[in-house]
Amino acid sequence: MNRILYPILILVFFAVSCSQIDIGSIGQVAQETFSAAKPLSDEEEYYVGRAVAAQILSTYPLLENRSLTEYVNSVGETVALHSDRPVTYGGYHFAILNSSEINAFSCPGGIIFITRGTINAVRNEDELAAVLAHEVAHINHRDGVSAIQKARLTQVATLIGSQAAQRYTPAQLSQLVSAFEGSVDDVFKTIVVNGYGRSQEYHADESALSYLSRAGYDPSALEDFLERLVSQGQSSGGGIMKTHPATADRIERVKRETPSVKVDASAFKIRTRRFQEAVR
Amino acid sequence: MKVRLFIVLLFIAVPAVSLGAETVTVITKENAIRESCRFFAPVKATVHYGDALEVVSQEGDWFQVNFRGVPGCIHKSAVSKESFSLSKLHLTGSPKQSASGQEVALAGKGFNPQVEAAYRNQNPQLKFGEVNAIEGYKVSEIRLREFIRSGKLNPP
Repeated sequence: MNRILYPILILVFFAVSCSQIDIGSIGQVAQETFSAAKPLSDEEEYYVGRAVAAQILSTYPLLENRSLTEYVNSVGETVALHSDRPVTYGGYHFAILNSSEINAFSCPGGIIFITRGTINAVRNEDELAAVLAHEVAHINHRDGVSAIQKARLTQVATLIGSQAAQRYTPAQLSQLVSAFEGSVDDVFKTIVVNGYGRSQEYHADESALSYLSRAGYDPSALEDFLERLVSQGQSSGGGIMKTHPATADRIERVKRETPSVKVDASAFKIRTRRFQEAVR
Repeated sequence: MKVRLFIVLLFIAVPAVSLGAETVTVITKENAIRESCRFFAPVKATVHYGDALEVVSQEGDWFQVNFRGVPGCIHKSAVSKESFSLSKLHLTGSPKQSASGQEVALAGKGFNPQVEAAYRNQNPQLKFGEVNAIEGYKVSEIRLREFIRSGKLNPP
């Protein structure tokens, strides 16, 4: 009996083990198909984002105010933790630009800039959270890297083919740096000069409303902030209008999409008080 | 008879377990394996880019994993189901070994620290030092948790 049983069991064991490889291969094919839609890996996105941030810092000076920076980071991190992509390769980092312009920029990977002008324009913590949530949404949606011309990424893919490398030859490196520089310029032009497309902005507003309500902030703070910009005439000319679609259009959409949530008035007051202390 | 039954069960059980075993790979610079599946839960181990974690189960947006014998949780956005091996990547001057397209994508197919360093050399006016300072600044978990609590916000 044993002479027959054990060899059969061994055959069954190997047959099932081999089938695991087949299942794995099927899974791999599915994963490769999925990742083909993602232009850059999270790590590459991070390096592009760092270079875009370095370019922005060459245009706008950094505001070095430790307590305000800690406050902005706390609000931003809270919103990011309630987003759909709470973890990125290098994490989320928030910094203040010493400019009176009303604007904010999200670099691929997780570095977010907000201007001193924007901090002065918001009236409470919930409005600040709304601005930062909008920028976090651009990172969640990978809107920055989507601005990179396809030809550059094709050039990179063609150059390295199926060979991965931690260090490149001088010739490879020269071509890669050229593609990298072009990619960084594409992203910089989009986020600082031309602005995202309308649909990207509307989508970012939509996601921001969701992150705000998940975090416990009042989502109507986004509408309040945008309406104030319009009433103060900040919605025309430069600043936020330069890089965003018509604010009136956004307000209409935001109004329609703002979830109705019961706002705890005492909590709102506490947050407004600490906002006032932080920006004083 | 009991011994024979045990052997039969063993042969059936081992492949069944290995069939279910799945690994995920860490895709962030650094991350934490937490005691329970929520942010701010105590950290049991620190993992780095490329570390392979054995998946035990999935709980919402979290994976219950095993890392070098340490069980715990990691958020799904910190890992990828695709696997790769850093050791398979070649260094200039060393024998080339092929890596799959997936490995190339995950390990940074084009833009990596070497490319950034060359770009920095060509553009010395860019403020990478300030970028490093921004990245180096981090609100501690204790302070962030307190910030959320005192503002009567929802914990993540």
